[in-house]
Amino acid sequence: MLESIVSYGLAIGAVYALIGITYNVMYSASRVFSFTAGMLGMLGGVLGAVFISRLGLNAAVALVLVLACGAVIGMVTEVLTVRPVLKSIEQHLYVLSTLAFALMVQQVTAIEFGTEAQPFPVLVPIESGWLDQKFWLPLLACAVTIVGLELLYRRTLIGRAFLAIAEDSYAARALGLPETRLRLACYAIAGVIGALAGFTGAQMLLAYFGNQAILNFYGFVPVALGGMGSNRGAVVGGLALGLFQQAAAVMFGGLHAAIAVFVVFIVVLLLRPEGLAGAVSGRRV
Amino acid sequence: MNRRQILAGSAAGIAAMATGLAAPALAQSEPIKIGYLPALTGPSSSTGIGMTRGTELAVAAINSSGGINGRPIELIIRDTQSDPTKAVNAVAELTQRQRASLIWGPLNSGEALAATPLVARNGVPMVHPCWVDELIDVKKYPMSFRNAPTNTQVGGGANHYVVDVLKLKKVAVISDTTGYGTASVNTYVPMLRAKGAEVVYSNHVDAANPDLRPELMRMRAAGAEVIMPWSVNAGFLSRILNTRGAMGWDVPVVGQTTLGSGQTRALLEKPEFWNRVYSNNFRNCCYANGQLPASAAEFVTRLKGARVEFNDTLLWWVANGWDAMFIIAEALKAAGTKAQDVVNHFQRVNRRPGVFGTISWTADQHNGFLDSEVVMCEVNSLRDGAFNLAPGY
Repeated sequence: MLESIVSYGLAIGAVYALIGITYNVMYSASRVFSFTAGMLGMLGGVLGAVFISRLGLNAAVALVLVLACGAVIGMVTEVLTVRPVLKSIEQHLYVLSTLAFALMVQQVTAIEFGTEAQPFPVLVPIESGWLDQKFWLPLLACAVTIVGLELLYRRTLIGRAFLAIAEDSYAARALGLPETRLRLACYAIAGVIGALAGFTGAQMLLAYFGNQAILNFYGFVPVALGGMGSNRGAVVGGLALGLFQQAAAVMFGGLHAAIAVFVVFIVVLLLRPEGLAGAVSGRRV
Repeated sequence: MNRRQILAGSAAGIAAMATGLAAPALAQSEPIKIGYLPALTGPSSSTGIGMTRGTELAVAAINSSGGINGRPIELIIRDTQSDPTKAVNAVAELTQRQRASLIWGPLNSGEALAATPLVARNGVPMVHPCWVDELIDVKKYPMSFRNAPTNTQVGGGANHYVVDVLKLKKVAVISDTTGYGTASVNTYVPMLRAKGAEVVYSNHVDAANPDLRPELMRMRAAGAEVIMPWSVNAGFLSRILNTRGAMGWDVPVVGQTTLGSGQTRALLEKPEFWNRVYSNNFRNCCYANGQLPASAAEFVTRLKGARVEFNDTLLWWVANGWDAMFIIAEALKAAGTKAQDVVNHFQRVNRRPGVFGTISWTADQHNGFLDSEVVMCEVNSLRDGAFNLAPGY
């Protein structure tokens, strides 16, 4: 029982955390909650299966192609669904535009790829158990992502520029930072992270167009729990969500696990609306 | 029913169609329209694709033999796209605009649940192969007939195999959270208990749940001797089989036909995880001692001769489409195209032999399939679209 909770809980939690980070990266650059995060995760698994299983590409080449596709789709998302609605952000039109784009991509995926779940190839042939790829690959991806983002934000000029537009886009633009191009780059990075989540979690979740809704939904929970914009919070929230979900599945059964997760989610938000790791933000007057 | 009777039945059917050629003096020679509602695209399309091959082959055979009293069948196909709304729209078009004499389909219960009331309201006879029990009701849908088993018969067949053939008493029943899954569990669990089995585990689980180990551990802890999953979701079923294999738990799995589908096989982590898995099937389309029944063997020869692909589908789907079209054609030949006359003819169909199964309908019973023809098969024995009968038959 404990093995099941820890192995699956951490693995699925890492996928949720990566989707949460995808939400955060897009949010930081635009103040938009782009509901394309689950779509990017779904595409990571589907495209990985297409490149490796159907086209017979090497796994490393396939990974690079999947991440490149994620970056391109991330940029397309910014251009088509975010940029046109930024001027009227207070009307929250981005909810409609990003969701519509995600659903459109999902439908195209269903038509082109099929509506049945497809297997995702085993990349590292280790016998099942604790060392199975499906358990450690998402965790490794999560660790690489969080370290990479920390290095990017703290050690590079462009990373500091990202932080500047996240902090105050007007001031950043006044200082001469190319806000539009930086936002586009952030969406490309988000695309890479979302696709990485899907690729590394696909052996567990299978390559399936229907994963989009699950990832969109459960990937949002760590963002809300960890605090909007906080990548560390998303990681802690994602792993906690995975462990709690799996523990609830073991103790109460699969159907009740979802209920337990959302009861805790609502209780946490009632007690700490800013999230467990978030800070109360001041309102500019 | 022996081979000679079945062959005689088929020959008589084709000969009966051929006599139409001898009646050129008939005033009417325009085609007889039959509306056909398969799902050829979308998540439920595999059934429709298979049945369409048998249906189209039958229409070609009937028309090449002179049609119905000299009138060819015009099969008007509308792809429902696995969408009940589109099925309803197609019914409206076929019954009101096209004036179809009869409707064959829809082929999936979800679509049939939406479409059947409209077909009934428009007073058009209907034949469908959908399993949901409520789809046949002689009072609500007096012109609707089923040429396949009901859900109760399908579950009864699986329960019979578990309790009476395998002699297992402690049963774990699991489904996904779809309407089909939950309804199946809610129906089959009381049936199991009535047969004296002890249901030690019963649950509905979200099909998207990637880890079913907790559920299977709970089953094992409860002492389950067999797992009965009810779902059409290949991902869900493959996770059950993969988890059972990873746990090294060698209990049989007995349940829905999708257990034996190619999609389920493709998702298995190891081929041997398909061992000791038995899915619903139908006696006339299964191998017994390595041989198909004579009618099915002859049908396979016909399919190969006509170059109809069936290795990527299931023989019983193709056979069901073939049988349905011949039952319909025989009714139109004998009774004409008036709706009530067709219904009256259907209600006199008595133990009609077919490639897929034997059908009997009466005025009070529009479910026509024999319980004894619902069997279980070994899923890892697929060849030419058919499976071996499960051990014990």
